[in-house]
Amino acid sequence: MKTTMQKKVIVIPCSGIGKALGSVSREATYEIVESLRKGVTDTTCLALITSGDEETLQLVKTNKCITVDGCPLQCAEKNVKLAGGELAASFRVVDTLKENRKLKPKSVTFLDHDGQELASLLAKQVAEKVDELLKE
Amino acid sequence: MSEYLSTTFDKFELRVRKGYYYTEDGLWISMEEGRVRVGVSDYVQRTGGDMAFVELLKPGSTVERQREFGTLETAKTTVSLLSPMSGTVEEANGRLVEKPELVNSDPYGEGWLATLAPRKLENELKTLMSADGYFELMLKKLETEHKKLEVR
Amino acid sequence: MVDLPEKKVGIISCSGEACVEGTISRVATRLVLEKLRPEETVTICLPLFLAGGKEERAFAKYYPTITVDGCDKLCAKTATERYSGKPASSIVITDLTRNPGCSRSGRRKLDSGGLALAEKAAERIAKEVDQVLDHWR
Repeated sequence: MKTTMQKKVIVIPCSGIGKALGSVSREATYEIVESLRKGVTDTTCLALITSGDEETLQLVKTNKCITVDGCPLQCAEKNVKLAGGELAASFRVVDTLKENRKLKPKSVTFLDHDGQELASLLAKQVAEKVDELLKE
Repeated sequence: MSEYLSTTFDKFELRVRKGYYYTEDGLWISMEEGRVRVGVSDYVQRTGGDMAFVELLKPGSTVERQREFGTLETAKTTVSLLSPMSGTVEEANGRLVEKPELVNSDPYGEGWLATLAPRKLENELKTLMSADGYFELMLKKLETEHKKLEVR
Repeated sequence: MVDLPEKKVGIISCSGEACVEGTISRVATRLVLEKLRPEETVTICLPLFLAGGKEERAFAKYYPTITVDGCDKLCAKTATERYSGKPASSIVITDLTRNPGCSRSGRRKLDSGGLALAEKAAERIAKEVDQVLDHWR
Protein backbone atom coordinates (compact mmCIF):
# COMPACT_ATOMS: atom_id res chain seq x y z
CA MET A 1 0.00 0.00 0.00
CA LYS A 2 1.37 3.35 -0.96
CA THR A 3 1.65 5.89 1.81
CA THR A 4 1.85 9.59 1.17
CA MET A 5 4.54 11.51 3.08
CA GLN A 6 2.97 14.35 4.96
CA LYS A 7 4.12 17.63 3.53
CA LYS A 8 5.91 19.88 5.94
CA VAL A 9 7.13 23.42 5.80
CA ILE A 10 10.90 23.54 6.04
CA VAL A 11 12.25 26.44 8.07
CA ILE A 12 15.86 27.27 7.31
CA PRO A 13 17.81 29.74 9.45
CA CYS A 14 21.01 31.42 8.40
CA SER A 15 22.57 30.66 11.79
CA GLY A 16 25.25 33.23 11.14
CA ILE A 17 27.91 32.64 13.74
CA GLY A 18 29.36 36.14 13.89
CA LYS A 19 26.33 38.07 15.07
CA ALA A 20 23.59 37.89 17.65
CA LEU A 21 21.05 38.15 14.84
CA GLY A 22 22.28 34.82 13.47
CA SER A 23 21.76 33.19 16.85
CA VAL A 24 18.27 34.69 16.99
CA SER A 25 17.43 33.19 13.58
CA ARG A 26 18.49 29.79 14.84
CA GLU A 27 16.57 30.05 18.10
CA ALA A 28 13.42 31.25 16.34
CA THR A 29 13.63 28.24 14.03
CA TYR A 30 13.88 25.81 16.93
CA GLU A 31 10.97 27.52 18.63
CA ILE A 32 8.85 26.81 15.56
CA VAL A 33 9.91 23.26 14.73
CA GLU A 34 10.16 22.00 18.31
CA SER A 35 7.30 23.90 19.86
CA LEU A 36 4.91 26.19 18.00
CA ARG A 37 4.43 24.08 14.86
CA LYS A 38 5.91 20.78 15.89
CA GLY A 39 5.03 17.97 13.52
CA VAL A 40 4.21 20.17 10.53
CA THR A 41 7.58 21.86 10.20
CA ASP A 42 11.16 20.74 10.01
CA THR A 43 14.55 22.32 9.63
CA THR A 44 17.72 21.43 7.82
CA CYS A 45 21.28 22.64 7.55
CA LEU A 46 21.88 25.45 5.10
CA ALA A 47 25.35 24.10 4.41
CA LEU A 48 23.90 20.76 3.31
CA ILE A 49 21.68 22.56 0.82
CA THR A 50 24.62 24.43 -0.64
CA SER A 51 26.91 21.43 -0.73
CA GLY A 52 24.34 19.61 -2.84
CA ASP A 53 23.45 16.87 -0.41
CA GLU A 54 20.91 14.76 -2.35
CA GLU A 55 18.56 14.07 0.50
CA THR A 56 18.51 17.70 1.61
CA LEU A 57 17.93 19.01 -1.89
CA GLN A 58 15.04 16.61 -2.29
CA LEU A 59 13.58 17.93 0.96
CA VAL A 60 13.70 21.59 -0.04
CA LYS A 61 12.52 21.02 -3.58
CA THR A 62 9.47 19.00 -2.62
CA ASN A 63 8.35 21.01 0.39
CA LYS A 64 7.64 24.70 0.84
CA CYS A 65 10.51 26.53 2.51
CA ILE A 66 10.73 29.56 4.72
CA THR A 67 14.10 31.17 5.28
CA VAL A 68 14.94 33.08 8.43
CA ASP A 69 17.91 35.38 7.94
CA GLY A 70 19.63 37.38 10.64
CA CYS A 71 20.60 40.40 8.60
CA PRO A 72 20.07 42.10 5.23
CA LEU A 73 22.78 39.97 3.62
CA GLN A 74 20.15 37.21 3.49
CA CYS A 75 22.46 34.26 3.05
CA ALA A 76 19.75 31.65 3.71
CA GLU A 77 17.40 33.11 1.12
CA LYS A 78 20.17 33.42 -1.47
CA ASN A 79 21.45 29.90 -0.96
CA VAL A 80 18.01 28.26 -0.98
CA LYS A 81 17.09 30.09 -4.19
CA LEU A 82 20.39 29.13 -5.81
CA ALA A 83 19.82 25.50 -4.94
CA GLY A 84 16.37 25.58 -6.53
CA GLY A 85 14.45 25.15 -3.28
CA GLU A 86 10.75 25.98 -3.20
CA LEU A 87 11.07 29.28 -1.37
CA ALA A 88 7.63 30.34 -0.16
CA ALA A 89 8.58 33.12 2.26
CA SER A 90 11.58 34.95 3.73
CA PHE A 91 11.97 36.58 7.08
CA ARG A 92 14.74 38.75 8.46
CA VAL A 93 15.46 39.13 12.15
CA VAL A 94 16.43 42.74 11.52
CA ASP A 95 12.83 43.49 10.45
CA THR A 96 11.44 42.13 13.71
CA LEU A 97 14.07 44.19 15.49
CA LYS A 98 12.74 47.31 13.77
CA GLU A 99 9.28 46.57 15.14
CA ASN A 100 10.66 46.10 18.64
CA ARG A 101 13.17 48.83 19.11
CA LYS A 102 13.75 48.30 22.79
CA LEU A 103 15.27 44.91 22.19
CA LYS A 104 19.03 44.97 21.67
CA PRO A 105 20.44 41.45 21.61
CA LYS A 106 24.13 41.59 22.36
CA SER A 107 25.27 38.10 23.18
CA VAL A 108 26.04 35.70 20.35
CA THR A 109 27.07 32.39 21.91
CA PHE A 110 24.21 32.12 24.37
CA LEU A 111 21.32 34.44 23.68
CA ASP A 112 20.55 37.04 26.31
CA HIS A 113 17.04 38.02 27.37
CA ASP A 114 16.54 40.46 24.50
CA GLY A 115 17.72 37.85 22.03
CA GLN A 116 15.34 35.24 23.41
CA GLU A 117 12.46 37.71 23.33
CA LEU A 118 13.22 38.68 19.75
CA ALA A 119 13.41 35.02 18.72
CA SER A 120 10.06 34.35 20.33
CA LEU A 121 8.36 37.28 18.56
CA LEU A 122 9.83 36.28 15.22
CA ALA A 123 8.85 32.66 15.73
CA LYS A 124 5.21 33.70 16.15
CA GLN A 125 5.32 35.65 12.88
CA VAL A 126 6.83 32.71 11.04
CA ALA A 127 4.32 30.32 12.60
CA GLU A 128 1.47 32.38 11.16
CA LYS A 129 3.05 32.10 7.76
CA VAL A 130 3.41 28.35 8.20
CA ASP A 131 -0.34 28.14 8.85
CA GLU A 132 -1.07 30.07 5.66
CA LEU A 133 1.18 27.84 3.61
CA LEU A 134 -0.30 24.66 5.01
CA LYS A 135 -3.80 25.80 4.03
CA GLU A 136 -2.78 26.28 0.40
CA MET B 1 45.72 55.10 -7.35
CA SER B 2 43.08 54.10 -4.81
CA GLU B 3 40.45 56.58 -3.65
CA TYR B 4 40.83 55.15 -0.16
CA LEU B 5 43.29 54.68 2.64
CA SER B 6 42.69 51.22 4.03
CA THR B 7 43.72 48.80 6.70
CA THR B 8 42.69 45.29 7.65
CA PHE B 9 41.41 44.53 11.09
CA ASP B 10 40.15 41.07 12.01
CA LYS B 11 39.01 39.98 8.55
CA PHE B 12 37.59 43.33 7.54
CA GLU B 13 38.99 46.00 5.34
CA LEU B 14 38.35 49.41 6.86
CA ARG B 15 38.55 52.30 4.45
CA VAL B 16 38.85 56.07 4.73
CA ARG B 17 37.84 58.03 1.66
CA LYS B 18 40.53 60.45 0.52
CA GLY B 19 39.53 64.03 -0.15
CA TYR B 20 36.83 64.04 2.56
CA TYR B 21 37.08 65.76 5.94
CA TYR B 22 36.34 64.01 9.21
CA THR B 23 35.29 64.60 12.78
CA GLU B 24 36.82 62.54 15.59
CA ASP B 25 33.50 60.70 15.87
CA GLY B 26 33.85 59.47 12.32
CA LEU B 27 31.42 61.70 10.43
CA TRP B 28 32.69 62.85 7.06
CA ILE B 29 31.88 65.76 4.80
CA SER B 30 32.53 66.09 1.12
CA MET B 31 32.51 69.49 -0.55
CA GLU B 32 29.99 70.19 -3.28
CA GLU B 33 28.97 73.35 -5.04
CA GLY B 34 27.65 75.57 -2.24
CA ARG B 35 26.95 72.70 0.14
CA VAL B 36 28.48 69.76 1.96
CA ARG B 37 27.39 66.14 1.98
CA VAL B 38 27.58 64.28 5.28
CA GLY B 39 27.99 60.61 6.08
CA VAL B 40 29.67 58.19 8.48
CA SER B 41 32.95 56.40 8.02
CA ASP B 42 33.50 52.72 7.40
CA TYR B 43 34.76 52.43 10.98
CA VAL B 44 31.51 53.83 12.39
CA GLN B 45 29.30 51.50 10.37
CA ARG B 46 31.43 48.48 11.12
CA THR B 47 31.62 49.03 14.86
CA GLY B 48 28.00 50.14 15.07
CA GLY B 49 26.57 47.01 13.48
CA ASP B 50 23.60 46.37 11.23
CA MET B 51 21.58 49.57 10.75
CA ALA B 52 17.93 49.31 11.69
CA PHE B 53 16.90 52.99 11.70
CA VAL B 54 18.42 56.21 10.51
CA GLU B 55 16.72 59.31 11.91
CA LEU B 56 17.74 62.75 10.77
CA LEU B 57 16.57 66.32 11.11
CA LYS B 58 14.16 67.34 8.39
CA PRO B 59 15.17 69.57 5.47
CA GLY B 60 14.99 73.20 6.49
CA SER B 61 16.18 72.50 10.05
CA THR B 62 19.12 74.44 11.35
CA VAL B 63 21.95 72.64 13.02
CA GLU B 64 24.98 73.67 15.03
CA ARG B 65 28.41 72.10 14.87
CA GLN B 66 28.81 69.25 17.36
CA ARG B 67 25.10 69.22 18.15
CA GLU B 68 22.96 66.17 17.44
CA PHE B 69 21.36 66.16 14.02
CA GLY B 70 20.29 62.57 13.97
CA THR B 71 20.78 59.05 15.25
CA LEU B 72 21.76 55.70 13.85
CA GLU B 73 20.01 52.84 15.54
CA THR B 74 21.60 49.46 15.00
CA ALA B 75 20.91 45.95 16.15
CA LYS B 76 23.01 46.54 19.24
CA THR B 77 23.19 50.25 20.01
CA THR B 78 22.14 53.81 19.17
CA VAL B 79 24.76 56.17 17.81
CA SER B 80 24.24 59.90 18.19
CA LEU B 81 25.25 61.86 15.12
CA LEU B 82 26.91 65.16 15.96
CA SER B 83 26.93 67.59 13.09
CA PRO B 84 30.37 68.36 11.62
CA MET B 85 29.20 71.84 10.64
CA SER B 86 26.68 74.55 11.41
CA GLY B 87 24.13 75.20 8.76
CA THR B 88 20.75 74.24 7.35
CA VAL B 89 19.74 70.74 6.36
CA GLU B 90 18.99 70.81 2.65
CA GLU B 91 18.29 67.17 2.01
CA ALA B 92 18.08 63.98 4.05
CA ASN B 93 18.76 60.69 2.26
CA GLY B 94 15.24 59.34 1.86
CA ARG B 95 16.45 55.93 0.70
CA LEU B 96 17.66 55.18 4.21
CA VAL B 97 14.08 54.92 5.45
CA GLU B 98 13.50 51.68 3.59
CA LYS B 99 17.11 50.62 3.22
CA PRO B 100 19.15 51.69 6.25
CA GLU B 101 21.60 48.93 5.34
CA LEU B 102 23.02 51.24 2.66
CA VAL B 103 24.96 52.92 5.46
CA ASN B 104 26.64 49.56 6.08
CA SER B 105 27.16 48.52 2.48
CA ASP B 106 28.24 51.86 1.01
CA PRO B 107 29.02 54.41 3.75
CA TYR B 108 30.89 56.78 1.42
CA GLY B 109 28.47 56.52 -1.46
CA GLU B 110 24.79 55.55 -1.43
CA GLY B 111 24.77 55.51 2.37
CA TRP B 112 25.22 59.30 2.66
CA LEU B 113 23.08 60.87 5.36
CA ALA B 114 22.29 64.47 4.49
CA THR B 115 23.42 67.59 2.70
CA LEU B 116 23.93 70.87 4.53
CA ALA B 117 24.14 74.48 3.44
CA PRO B 118 27.02 75.48 5.73
CA ARG B 119 26.96 78.78 7.57
CA LYS B 120 30.58 78.98 8.78
CA LEU B 121 32.37 76.81 6.26
CA GLU B 122 35.81 78.39 6.30
CA ASN B 123 36.17 78.48 10.08
CA GLU B 124 34.61 75.13 10.79
CA LEU B 125 36.56 73.31 8.11
CA LYS B 126 39.65 74.01 10.21
CA THR B 127 38.17 71.94 13.04
CA LEU B 128 37.98 68.83 10.85
CA MET B 129 40.66 66.25 10.10
CA SER B 130 42.01 65.28 6.74
CA ALA B 131 41.64 61.69 5.58
CA ASP B 132 45.22 60.99 6.69
CA GLY B 133 44.56 62.40 10.13
CA TYR B 134 41.37 60.41 10.59
CA PHE B 135 43.06 57.27 9.32
CA GLU B 136 45.73 57.56 12.02
CA LEU B 137 43.07 58.13 14.64
CA MET B 138 41.17 55.09 13.42
CA LEU B 139 44.29 52.92 13.68
CA LYS B 140 44.80 54.04 17.28
CA LYS B 141 41.19 53.28 18.13
CA LEU B 142 41.46 49.82 16.61
CA GLU B 143 44.54 49.11 18.65
CA THR B 144 43.16 50.26 21.95
CA GLU B 145 39.44 49.71 21.83
CA HIS B 146 38.62 46.60 19.87
CA LYS B 147 39.55 43.00 20.25
CA LYS B 148 37.00 41.77 17.76
CA LEU B 149 34.68 43.32 15.29
CA GLU B 150 31.36 41.77 14.84
CA VAL B 151 30.73 40.19 11.52
CA ARG B 152 28.64 42.23 9.16
CA MET C 1 53.17 32.46 1.59
CA VAL C 2 51.98 36.03 1.12
CA ASP C 3 53.41 38.36 3.74
CA LEU C 4 50.42 39.18 5.85
CA PRO C 5 50.10 42.01 8.38
CA GLU C 6 48.90 39.84 11.22
CA LYS C 7 49.13 36.19 12.14
CA LYS C 8 45.59 35.01 12.58
CA VAL C 9 43.72 31.78 12.06
CA GLY C 10 40.25 31.62 10.56
CA ILE C 11 37.82 29.18 12.11
CA ILE C 12 35.01 27.94 9.93
CA SER C 13 32.34 26.10 11.82
CA CYS C 14 29.27 24.32 10.70
CA SER C 15 26.31 25.12 12.86
CA GLY C 16 24.07 22.37 11.63
CA GLU C 17 20.64 22.82 13.00
CA ALA C 18 19.69 19.22 12.41
CA CYS C 19 21.77 17.72 15.19
CA VAL C 20 23.25 18.52 18.55
CA GLU C 21 26.79 18.13 17.22
CA GLY C 22 26.16 21.17 15.02
CA THR C 23 25.29 23.18 18.11
CA ILE C 24 28.37 21.87 19.90
CA SER C 25 30.48 22.88 16.91
CA ARG C 26 29.05 26.38 17.01
CA VAL C 27 29.43 26.86 20.75
CA ALA C 28 32.96 25.45 20.77
CA THR C 29 34.01 27.83 18.02
CA ARG C 30 32.50 30.80 19.82
CA LEU C 31 34.31 29.85 23.04
CA VAL C 32 37.63 29.88 21.19
CA LEU C 33 36.81 33.21 19.61
CA GLU C 34 35.62 34.92 22.75
CA LYS C 35 37.67 33.37 25.51
CA LEU C 36 40.45 30.99 24.60
CA ARG C 37 42.16 32.66 21.62
CA PRO C 38 40.38 35.99 20.96
CA GLU C 39 43.37 37.78 19.48
CA GLU C 40 44.60 34.93 17.33
CA THR C 41 41.37 33.91 15.67
CA VAL C 42 38.71 35.16 13.32
CA THR C 43 35.41 33.51 12.59
CA ILE C 44 34.32 32.88 9.06
CA CYS C 45 30.57 32.84 8.81
CA LEU C 46 29.77 29.69 6.83
CA PRO C 47 26.45 30.87 5.31
CA LEU C 48 28.08 34.10 4.19
CA PHE C 49 31.08 32.16 2.93
CA LEU C 50 28.79 29.90 0.90
CA ALA C 51 26.80 32.85 -0.42
CA GLY C 52 29.99 34.43 -1.77
CA GLY C 53 30.93 36.85 1.02
CA LYS C 54 34.13 38.42 -0.31
CA GLU C 55 35.74 39.13 3.04
CA GLU C 56 35.12 35.59 4.22
CA ARG C 57 36.52 34.02 1.07
CA ALA C 58 39.48 36.36 0.84
CA PHE C 59 40.47 35.70 4.42
CA ALA C 60 40.20 31.95 4.00
CA LYS C 61 42.29 32.15 0.85
CA TYR C 62 45.26 33.93 2.41
CA TYR C 63 45.16 32.89 6.04
CA PRO C 64 45.30 29.41 7.54
CA THR C 65 41.94 27.96 8.46
CA ILE C 66 40.62 25.36 10.83
CA THR C 67 37.29 23.79 10.01
CA VAL C 68 34.97 22.46 12.69
CA ASP C 69 32.23 20.12 11.54
CA GLY C 70 29.45 18.57 13.55
CA CYS C 71 29.25 15.36 11.56
CA ASP C 72 30.97 13.40 8.83
CA LYS C 73 29.13 15.26 6.08
CA LEU C 74 31.97 17.79 6.55
CA CYS C 75 30.15 20.83 5.17
CA ALA C 76 32.63 23.38 6.55
CA LYS C 77 35.67 21.45 5.33
CA THR C 78 34.20 20.81 1.87
CA ALA C 79 33.17 24.42 1.39
CA THR C 80 36.58 25.69 2.46
CA GLU C 81 38.38 23.37 0.08
CA ARG C 82 36.05 24.32 -2.74
CA TYR C 83 36.14 28.07 -2.36
CA SER C 84 39.41 28.91 -0.71
CA GLY C 85 41.82 26.07 -0.22
CA LYS C 86 42.71 23.15 1.99
CA PRO C 87 42.29 23.96 5.68
CA ALA C 88 45.33 23.71 7.93
CA SER C 89 43.36 21.47 10.25
CA SER C 90 39.92 19.88 10.45
CA ILE C 91 37.99 18.79 13.50
CA VAL C 92 34.85 16.66 13.52
CA ILE C 93 32.79 16.77 16.68
CA THR C 94 31.48 13.22 16.30
CA ASP C 95 35.10 12.04 16.62
CA LEU C 96 35.17 13.55 20.10
CA THR C 97 31.87 12.07 21.17
CA ARG C 98 32.77 8.45 20.72
CA ASN C 99 33.83 8.14 24.32
CA PRO C 100 31.23 6.28 26.39
CA GLY C 101 29.40 8.31 28.97
CA CYS C 102 28.96 11.45 26.91
CA SER C 103 25.33 12.45 26.90
CA ARG C 104 24.44 15.14 24.47
CA SER C 105 20.75 15.64 24.12
CA GLY C 106 19.41 19.07 23.28
CA ARG C 107 20.36 20.61 19.95
CA ARG C 108 18.54 23.80 20.87
CA LYS C 109 20.05 24.25 24.27
CA LEU C 110 23.02 22.14 25.26
CA ASP C 111 22.67 20.19 28.46
CA SER C 112 25.59 19.84 30.87
CA GLY C 113 27.01 16.96 28.87
CA GLY C 114 26.79 18.94 25.67
CA LEU C 115 28.39 21.98 27.26
CA ALA C 116 31.21 19.86 28.60
CA LEU C 117 31.79 18.50 25.12
CA ALA C 118 31.74 21.98 23.66
CA GLU C 119 34.39 23.06 26.15
CA LYS C 120 36.49 20.01 25.36
CA ALA C 121 36.15 20.70 21.64
CA ALA C 122 37.09 24.34 22.25
CA GLU C 123 40.29 23.27 24.02
CA ARG C 124 41.12 21.02 21.10
CA ILE C 125 40.50 23.81 18.59
CA ALA C 126 42.65 26.18 20.64
CA LYS C 127 45.53 23.68 20.57
CA GLU C 128 45.19 23.40 16.81
CA VAL C 129 45.30 27.18 16.57
CA ASP C 130 48.56 27.20 18.55
CA GLN C 131 50.07 24.53 16.34
CA VAL C 132 49.07 26.32 13.17
CA LEU C 133 50.57 29.58 14.43
CA ASP C 134 53.77 27.86 15.61
CA HIS C 135 54.18 26.27 12.21
CA TRP C 136 53.60 29.62 10.55
CA ARG C 137 56.28 31.35 12.62
